[in-house]
Amino acid sequence: MSRLPRPLSADGRSFDALNRHDRTADPAADHIGLPGALPEGEGLLGARVDYDAHSPVRLSGPEAHSLADHRRRFGPRPSAAGTAADTLLDTLDRIRLAGRGGAHFPAAVKWRAALSAGGGGTVVANAAEGEPASAKDAALLQHRTHLVLDGLACAAEAIGADRAVVWLHAGAHSTHRALTRALAERRSAGLRDPHVELVTGPDAYLSGESSAIIRALSGGPTLPTFRRVPAARSGIGGRPALVHNVETLARVALAARTGADDHRDSTLVTVVSDGRRTVLELDPATTVAQALAVAAVPAGAAGRTVGAGLPPEQRHAPLRAVHDPVSGTAGEPQAILLGGYGGGWLPWDQAADLRLEHRALREAGTGLGAGILAVLPAGVCGLQQTALIADYLAGSGARQCGPCLFGLRDVADLMLDLAAGRAGRSDVRRLERFAGEIEGRGGCHHPDGVVRLVRTALDTFADHVDEHLRQGRCLLPEARLPFPVPPGPQA
Amino acid sequence: MSARVDGSGPRLRVDPVACDGIGMCAHVAPRLVGVDSWGYPVVDGSPLDRRSARSAAAAVSSCPRRALFLEGPAES
Repeated sequence: MSRLPRPLSADGRSFDALNRHDRTADPAADHIGLPGALPEGEGLLGARVDYDAHSPVRLSGPEAHSLADHRRRFGPRPSAAGTAADTLLDTLDRIRLAGRGGAHFPAAVKWRAALSAGGGGTVVANAAEGEPASAKDAALLQHRTHLVLDGLACAAEAIGADRAVVWLHAGAHSTHRALTRALAERRSAGLRDPHVELVTGPDAYLSGESSAIIRALSGGPTLPTFRRVPAARSGIGGRPALVHNVETLARVALAARTGADDHRDSTLVTVVSDGRRTVLELDPATTVAQALAVAAVPAGAAGRTVGAGLPPEQRHAPLRAVHDPVSGTAGEPQAILLGGYGGGWLPWDQAADLRLEHRALREAGTGLGAGILAVLPAGVCGLQQTALIADYLAGSGARQCGPCLFGLRDVADLMLDLAAGRAGRSDVRRLERFAGEIEGRGGCHHPDGVVRLVRTALDTFADHVDEHLRQGRCLLPEARLPFPVPPGPQA
Repeated sequence: MSARVDGSGPRLRVDPVACDGIGMCAHVAPRLVGVDSWGYPVVDGSPLDRRSARSAAAAVSSCPRRALFLEGPAES
């Protein structure tokens, strides 16, 4: 792995100093020259948003756009009806817009499937962010509400939908308020929008799963189903049903305005570190290490993340140190959980220089999922963390299919045994065998996520697995777990 | 399993949500349907030749939950 020379920030201090939260010199220099972040005011979000790691509490962020702010910043929403639909589809193809809820399915392919089935039907903005580590959808919905609603209107017009829905968790109060206010603003401004319904579902992990949403909107329970025909062709009442992540729709709204030629790509990530979930909008060429360095600037610098101050070679230089909550000093992280709880672990030396581009990550055998980078500091037991997440996920399943009902429970229990030092070598072999049996066989992708989490943990923390097996316990000191794990089963 | 050379035969699939792990399929078509550690069917989803497709069809109709299905071109 290449090691570029240690870069200096514009005022001559090393970035390591910035990362050590050394704010004694010039506080105004905090934001200068940090690589990766889009210049203020560009892109979807325009600035960072910080949330508490363990609660929905927002610590800092830009002001929510009113309709007037929104139109000043982005201009009016172009129509996507009639021939404009073809233009927009062409743009989505050219910018290769893929779903940002984690599946990376091309948006244009869904639209074409709906159109070839005669159009009409339902378009859903999926605002139910089930992943506990993620906050980027909440950030968009609360700060750029109108951009999401523009995207929903464009999608509904393009496929001629009769119904446009925003689907969200019943407990997402801030998001609900933002949406209600924005919809009222649009009504009183007399915008030519399709009518939008706000529909809430249970506060469960799987409420955001697209087949569960379609089932709920068809009058059934909010549980995933196995679809023999794609929902984009026949989803609700035999008509097409498109479910799009809210970031995907915000990108549709932006692309409808810029077209493909003036399109600027970005990646929206949630960095979970230091007790915060920090939502950043980054240049896709940004590396994991750089993303963490940008996130490490504390909340006071919110809204001032700037990437334009340095020459490009320095903007892409690796920045490594993060605050270590165990030792209280700055040090390299131990590992990164990419893609969230159904994602995969990577040791820090393999993750640090990866660029946040879907294709680059896929070639490295990993992915960002819904855009999550969760940092495991040195000195924290990755097996214990994995066991707690696996236990949470096993309890959050729909309990409809065999792999979910029995397989995930067994996997989580074995993982808990391994974390506690109760497991032997044969248990690890069973864990690996169960993972292989579950993979690809769930009613939805939930079981596959747990398999990925556990397998990558066994690889990433292989040495530590051996220690647990030899010692019969964990030798690392107990530490507060750095990731949010909601209490109890949610199903 | 009996993959058809031209890869154009039907494929045996399981709807895991409908499946209750009753296990009739694995009795009726043991060559095509395995069983996992929890008693639920495992199929490999490869295209089937004519003889296997007949056996798969028997497994499909044996399921009390209608959880098995054949996907792709029907055997002529």
